[in-house]
Amino acid sequence: MSEFIQETEMAQEALLEASMVERPEKNQPLGPMFWICVGWLALNIIGAIFANVLPVQNPLNQDYNFINSGPSLHHIFGTDDLGRDIFARIVYGSRVSIAVGAGSMLIGFGIGAPLGMLAAYRRGRFDTFVTTVMYVFLAFPAIIAVIAVLSFWTPRSMFKIIVVIGFASVPLVYRVIRTATLAIATKDYVIAAKVQGATDRRILMKELLPNIAPIGISFLLIGVATVVTLEGALAFLGLSVNPPTPSWGNMINESRTILAENPWLVLFPSLALCLFLLCLNFIGDRVRSHFDVTEVKL
Amino acid sequence: MTDTTQPLLKVRDLTVTFGKGHHAVSAVAGISFDIFEGETLGLVGESGCGKSTTGKALMKIVEPSSGTIELEGVDITNQKGRSLRNIRTRMQMIFQDPISSLNPRRRVKDIVAEPLDCWKTVEGDERDVLISDLLNKVGIDPAVYGNRYARQFSGGQCQRISIARSLAMRPKMLICDEMVSALDVSVQAQILNLLEDLKNEYGLTLLFIAHDLAVVKNVSDRVAVMYLGKICEIGPSDVLYEAPAHPYTKFLLGAALEADPDSPVHGDVLEGEPPSPMNPPSGCRFRTRCPFAQERCANEEPVLRDVAPGHQVACHFPLTIQSSTVA
Amino acid sequence: MNPDKLLVVKDLATTFNTSAGPLPAVGGVSFDLNKNETLGIVGESGSGKTVLARTIMGLQPRTNVAVTGSVLLNGHEMVGVSEAEKRKYWGTEVAMVFQDPMTSLNPVMRIGKQIDETLRVRLGMSKDAAKARAIELLELVGIPSPTQRYGAFPGQLSGGMRQRVVIATALACSPKLLMADEPTTGLDVTIQAQILNLLEDLKEQFHMSVVLITHDLGVVATRTSRIVVMYAGRVVEIGTTREVFTNHRMPYTRALLESSPKVSNPSHTRLVTIPGRPPNLLKLSLGCSFAPRCAYATNQCHQQRPELQSAEEPGHSFACWNPLPSKREAATR
Repeated sequence: MSEFIQETEMAQEALLEASMVERPEKNQPLGPMFWICVGWLALNIIGAIFANVLPVQNPLNQDYNFINSGPSLHHIFGTDDLGRDIFARIVYGSRVSIAVGAGSMLIGFGIGAPLGMLAAYRRGRFDTFVTTVMYVFLAFPAIIAVIAVLSFWTPRSMFKIIVVIGFASVPLVYRVIRTATLAIATKDYVIAAKVQGATDRRILMKELLPNIAPIGISFLLIGVATVVTLEGALAFLGLSVNPPTPSWGNMINESRTILAENPWLVLFPSLALCLFLLCLNFIGDRVRSHFDVTEVKL
Repeated sequence: MTDTTQPLLKVRDLTVTFGKGHHAVSAVAGISFDIFEGETLGLVGESGCGKSTTGKALMKIVEPSSGTIELEGVDITNQKGRSLRNIRTRMQMIFQDPISSLNPRRRVKDIVAEPLDCWKTVEGDERDVLISDLLNKVGIDPAVYGNRYARQFSGGQCQRISIARSLAMRPKMLICDEMVSALDVSVQAQILNLLEDLKNEYGLTLLFIAHDLAVVKNVSDRVAVMYLGKICEIGPSDVLYEAPAHPYTKFLLGAALEADPDSPVHGDVLEGEPPSPMNPPSGCRFRTRCPFAQERCANEEPVLRDVAPGHQVACHFPLTIQSSTVA
Repeated sequence: MNPDKLLVVKDLATTFNTSAGPLPAVGGVSFDLNKNETLGIVGESGSGKTVLARTIMGLQPRTNVAVTGSVLLNGHEMVGVSEAEKRKYWGTEVAMVFQDPMTSLNPVMRIGKQIDETLRVRLGMSKDAAKARAIELLELVGIPSPTQRYGAFPGQLSGGMRQRVVIATALACSPKLLMADEPTTGLDVTIQAQILNLLEDLKEQFHMSVVLITHDLGVVATRTSRIVVMYAGRVVEIGTTREVFTNHRMPYTRALLESSPKVSNPSHTRLVTIPGRPPNLLKLSLGCSFAPRCAYATNQCHQQRPELQSAEEPGHSFACWNPLPSKREAATR
């Protein structure tokens, strides 16, 4: 038995016993780091939405005076081998990442979450049938499916990418939400609600949903991070949005051949991607920790 | 106008079987009993005897496999869906784990009001007054604690809130499934006293399921003892405890430790473990551990029969009952 | 040091450093244990009895915890020493039986292996010798067909059987002291009787002392020779079992004894209750922790914490400014 687990368990027990009158009602503080990450994400999102009106250069504009140049006053992040401003391309490129991330998770959760909750609550034939279907899909590597579909479903567009990745993520979302709901659907208070005569709909909305929401939200954020990375990978394979539309993945892909001459082309998009993902993951974890009411905080 | 000669709850040959074929486990293997209005029937037995499953089957949380359950003369055994929901308000249940009986993310006021909100019986001010009244009755000050979340309360307080919630729709019957087993001794005493008071005030009928013999005796008018899915003995508490007729009851009482250093440590300990419910012994289920078992016990299953007015036992060779003042 | 004393606990205090402030789970506990004695530690949730047991064993967490005082186990100090030091005595001098056998046994390891692991690591036995001894131990604790059961997984056994396996593991290296933390809570009453009888027999066979920690007064009444009553992390009464049950002086002890329902009482007996709730250990007052709930509390009780004082019978002490009258005095008057 891990001693670390024993330590925190024992101290938690003591704290619980001690505060039998009132449990200390202090959620794990979100912390300054959390807000910094939220700020960074907000910045990215605002940049993506309002790119047109912000003082950012045209990402498609080729400036032949500054090919493969490093950061300078004209181009804060430098330019790529076609003279396009890297900073502008990063700002416009975030649109792709964010759109793909948000859009596909919307599809994934929109379909997977209600199915998962319903299956876990109802059990029986519905659950067995849907779960079997989902598990069959899960057995098939999602990435290969995505690559295959996107290779043949041409001409590619962002909409198609979002749809494909979205549907590919449904089985995983289904599994996570179903597992989370299973843990709660057997609790006494759900049985108590049924015994009082609550309709299934009422139970799903009032008893199950509030308890699944924290896990759901945190998984959503981490899911967005995963999908954004996936888009990057697809770009590497040439399966993301068509050039010259910028996307972080595209930029990193393009930089492969000219790495020696222009390290800036790989550096800045990678940094942007990394920071975006880090923030998402951090926020996701913090949210989960903050809303976990079963943990007694020491 | 209730007919007082008819029992409030009538159970006949109830069985609950889990699984199919070879792996079938009959958790409840054919039990029959009545509960009359205003009385408390204690249901006692060790783990695996089926007492909790019985409670759940009566509440239709678990589907009975066969037999009948009649509540106030209405057969509820096969009710489902909407008609079942309508019956739900007549019979409520209180669970063992106080903490998990309440949704940690909801406020106490909302939890207690849930039944009222489901059925939309009262609204607005009337609703608030009703909730405050209920909380006060169970000893929780609504002004101070009403808006707190359920996760902020101790075990005893959670159990009080559960009781308040179950009384919101004025049920006729309350099934208490090991409701004090998870509580400390001093808290347990408070809750038991509270239950007694509320029972009198609301005119409730109780089915009290527990494994602690002292607690069950304290609360019940009559007690039924279960072993491996069957009722061995059923009778008035004082009589049953004083002079048990079934050997299992005697061993059970013998093993109960009294908080008294002078009480004799009973030498006869019931040896062995209960047999698996998947493969129960033929005839009398207790015969494998019973020191009085004879051939007849293996061949013929004993049925409940009277040994004294109101006192029934399912045994071919019940222990001799000393004559005592019978209720 | 008195060679008859197996365990000497002096002013033991365990304080957890939590985000809500210091939590004195155990505050200044002193008692001793003789050889071949069964001591009961009784208390409700929040009394600190489990934290006390683990601190005596040396099992408290390494961080955010401050332990002061002294625990002398057979002359060896257990407080303030390194884990390596403590490990020397775990299993060989002192062993612990926990409440839930399903969590103290590794569910994916066969039970035989769990026992002979201890034997091979601590006593350096060979594989075959350890297996033989393990089967012997299984038989000793009353597991039927021990040779076949040697290869069983904990999940295949019933609760009572699992607890027997836990006891066998604890006894593997013949410790002198067995700490049993709620060993029968959660087990059926008939199985409980079997396990308690087993512990008594093994105590005789192995010449051990047993510390029985429980909230069940019935268990301590019949199976212990001395009792320690704890409340809010402190000892409020200590004495022989008979003395504490029949001539208790501290009002909490009486309240505790009176609030448990008895089989010998008629049904519908009104139970005596203790008003209020156990104190919040994060906000302990300077006075007696029980004063807010005590019917006999005086001003002094609220302001000053009482120390343990001796009663007439040797070995009986209690911590109360306003104790209940002694039945002995009344008898001799």
